[in-house]
Amino acid sequence: MSSASVPWTPAGGTVTTVRETEEQAVDLGWVTIVWDDPVNLMSYVTHVFTTYFGYPEPKAGRLMLQVHNEGKAVVSSGTREQMESDVDAMHSYGLWATLEKSS
Amino acid sequence: MRRFSRRGPLIKVRLTEYETSLLEQLIDDFASLLGGDEPQAIVDVDPFVRWQAEFDAPELDSADPVITRLFPDAYPQDAEASQEFRRFTQARQRDDRLEQAELAMSALRDTDGGRHPLQVRAIEVDHWLKLLTALRLALAARLGIERPQDADALDALPEEDPRSLIYRIYEWLAFLSEGILGQAGH
Repeated sequence: MSSASVPWTPAGGTVTTVRETEEQAVDLGWVTIVWDDPVNLMSYVTHVFTTYFGYPEPKAGRLMLQVHNEGKAVVSSGTREQMESDVDAMHSYGLWATLEKSS
Repeated sequence: MRRFSRRGPLIKVRLTEYETSLLEQLIDDFASLLGGDEPQAIVDVDPFVRWQAEFDAPELDSADPVITRLFPDAYPQDAEASQEFRRFTQARQRDDRLEQAELAMSALRDTDGGRHPLQVRAIEVDHWLKLLTALRLALAARLGIERPQDADALDALPEEDPRSLIYRIYEWLAFLSEGILGQAGH
């Protein structure tokens, strides 16, 4: 990810649904993974995680850093259909996302 | 004069005449890449007609690195499933992107060549961010930015190198994105 070159303030966006935290999540077999890329801005990736998934700022920021530092992060889990929908959304934001069976 | 400001539901961005025409050119090129010059895609509420349109949609050039970056494999280990995924998502993704391009072109026209600030409606911030991101991804694919060090190497190029100018534009688009994002916060 590309780091911020200009000061920014966290953006919340319009949150319509709030996903369960990982602790509560039930394994429905599939996960969405977002991969690091050198183009997307760190502030933007955090914005996408708060806006689309409705994750609170700290969680979104933590996932963004995980993508940045570890090269990828599981950002959501659920059924295959739900994960296809999430991957589709991530692609629409320009994020590099894939889905796979949860291990 | 501040570059980015916000008044209620409107974010204002001051662009020069050159920046305005540059952005218009980038968006125009991007729309052409997605086949935006072709006859308007079918907008029909009938699910069967829409479904058929997905199959009839113009094939995007999958050998173009910009296209593969915008529509990556959803299943990295399964080419067939990735292709299937693309068949069901690509037509709509393409239409959405062309719509974002049209929205931006309209707002840029309203600046009268940079004489008035560009107006970004707060509820349309994500349309703009998606578009600016797509433009950056397109330039990055053309510049061959695949790892962080690729960007560093481009940054160090002498000004005479033609890639240097493209890289400055790429950086400028990041500046615009961050500026708009900064005003979107509550």
